[in-house]
Amino acid sequence: MALTSDQMVLLYRNMVRADQFNKMMYRRMMQGKLIGFYHPAEGAIAPGVGASTFLNQDDNLSPHHRGHGITHMLCKGIDIKYYLAEHTGKETGCCKGRSAFHFSFPEHKVYMMSGFIGYNFAPVVGWGFAAKRRAQGQVVMNCSGDGSYGQGRAHEAMLMSQNWQLPVIFFCENNGMSIFSTAQEMHPQENIASLADGFGMPSIIVDGQDVFAVAEASLQAIERARTGGGPTFIEAKTLRFNEHDIGTPDLSGWEERSAEEHEAMREREPIRIATERVLGDSLLTQNEIDQIVQEALAEIEAVEQFADESPIARPPVEELMAGVFAD
Amino acid sequence: MREITFIDAIREAYEEEMRRDNSVFIVGQDVRGAIFPHTKGLVEEFGPERIVDTPIAESGMYGVAFGAAQEGMRPVCDFMFGGFSYVTFSECSVTTGQYHFLHGSQHPLPLVITAGVGTGQRLANDHAMSIHGTFAHHPGIKVAMPSTPYDAKGMFKSAIRDNNPVVIPWHMGIMMLKGEVPEPGDDYVVPLGVADVKREGSDVTVLANSLQLQHALTVAEKLEGELSVEVIDPRSFVPFDMDTLLTSLGKTNRLVVVDEDWESGGFAATVSARVMEQGFDLLDAPVTRVTLPNMPVPGGYMEEYVAPNPERIEAAVRAVCA
Repeated sequence: MALTSDQMVLLYRNMVRADQFNKMMYRRMMQGKLIGFYHPAEGAIAPGVGASTFLNQDDNLSPHHRGHGITHMLCKGIDIKYYLAEHTGKETGCCKGRSAFHFSFPEHKVYMMSGFIGYNFAPVVGWGFAAKRRAQGQVVMNCSGDGSYGQGRAHEAMLMSQNWQLPVIFFCENNGMSIFSTAQEMHPQENIASLADGFGMPSIIVDGQDVFAVAEASLQAIERARTGGGPTFIEAKTLRFNEHDIGTPDLSGWEERSAEEHEAMREREPIRIATERVLGDSLLTQNEIDQIVQEALAEIEAVEQFADESPIARPPVEELMAGVFAD
Repeated sequence: MREITFIDAIREAYEEEMRRDNSVFIVGQDVRGAIFPHTKGLVEEFGPERIVDTPIAESGMYGVAFGAAQEGMRPVCDFMFGGFSYVTFSECSVTTGQYHFLHGSQHPLPLVITAGVGTGQRLANDHAMSIHGTFAHHPGIKVAMPSTPYDAKGMFKSAIRDNNPVVIPWHMGIMMLKGEVPEPGDDYVVPLGVADVKREGSDVTVLANSLQLQHALTVAEKLEGELSVEVIDPRSFVPFDMDTLLTSLGKTNRLVVVDEDWESGGFAATVSARVMEQGFDLLDAPVTRVTLPNMPVPGGYMEEYVAPNPERIEAAVRAVCA
């Protein structure tokens, strides 16, 4: 599915935004200006941008936890300032400052985050079930990493989605690592997408460093799901430039990842790959790219200002108790 | 009023709620063929799109309910046996209970979890354990259990209409218990969070539910003339109707809590502690509990004397009144 120039420029803009947001989160964590932890997304931003940019408002999205879903959510039109406020414990947070790093934007059909890796596989079946019953072309973009496919839940969700031909896209962002352990060691086959074969589910393996390739694959899967063609498995082969989360050692197994490995990874820097493409195809000039970067930085400045100026959430216990149940 | 069985009362609640609200559906394993008769015949009226069978995949099965509830539907998830809910316990307890609150109380999660529970079938631990106490431990989930056909129909209707996750198991030991229930279509609900005084008395209060409520009523009748036993059915564990219990204790000053759950960390322990905190001055004797001993529920014939039974309840009533 060939992308239009407008689609490519939009993807590029979202890549720049995702990259700058990730840098901002990294910086804030190092400055002690984030609550909890942060799992940096550097090197792995193209899959989320490619998967999420062309979703509709009423499509369901379960973002990957890397980058804390920001890469995905900002491409779906979600205003990240409410998430940063949440991540800093503020009253204006998307969850009223109660959740640390969890996000929830039900009006955008990004319902939840849970601290259990692979939690997404249970509810996506229900979202797909509801979408199919509603029959209005709603699709479910279900993003998670290679590690999450160790969960039995992943297999249950693929089984049921394929049985019922649900409009669910199993979008695996395979960065080859789960904390310290390698996918090579934890999965019996080279491609996680091989799992789809057992269910008779069509699959696509794509270069996850190339946002345009990811978007083309995603659009193909989205189209299939929207038109009643059932689920698709997409495996985006990507990379994790940093340690798992800020503060943990950067190990492979139990040994430090080598300088050679890092150098080789940096050869596949997704922003540079995208920039070379838009310049090479004359879609954007360097001046226009600089302008896009400036706009992203201005957006981030406003987001940080909103979060920083918001009051810390410290409601009385009675108020919290009143929020445990819905009316 | 006509008399129907407990399990038929649950089925009537499903039927009426599914006719009333198109977003209500049932998901489980072999619910179409009705492995338990509360779903018997429903597929003929509502079709396999609303009486939904899944593979033996509890996380995915519960995921249908969980995700569909987020999408605004009102699912009933049937785990068949209560112990099977533990297969997907992170979803149906932790993630379910925290969903509304942790995400800022902005999006309700209206779903019902049900399953057959309890001793009496000689099935052993994983098929006999109670789940109400464990779910009650997890905030954000309402927990209730009916004890009569009338309550079963009215409470299942309340659970389906509630905007929160409601765990409402039913006890296999009273499946065929008959009782008066209004005519079909005569809409009524029994609100969650309201206990019911099933028998009035003045010497001692016995708090008991489901099969154990039947045992408590048997004991109360047996002791009539000797001891006046008030029997209260909590009906709901979360929220729990403390007022009704304290009012009763104001009269009887003695409490026996019967709970078909383990002694350790169970609902009976919670009630006992709350009575100490809120009603200590009302008590003339320590609160006494009749529970399962802290061993996995044995199968075969042993559960007859291991589980709470009329003899153990009577002994506890006599001891607390001595």
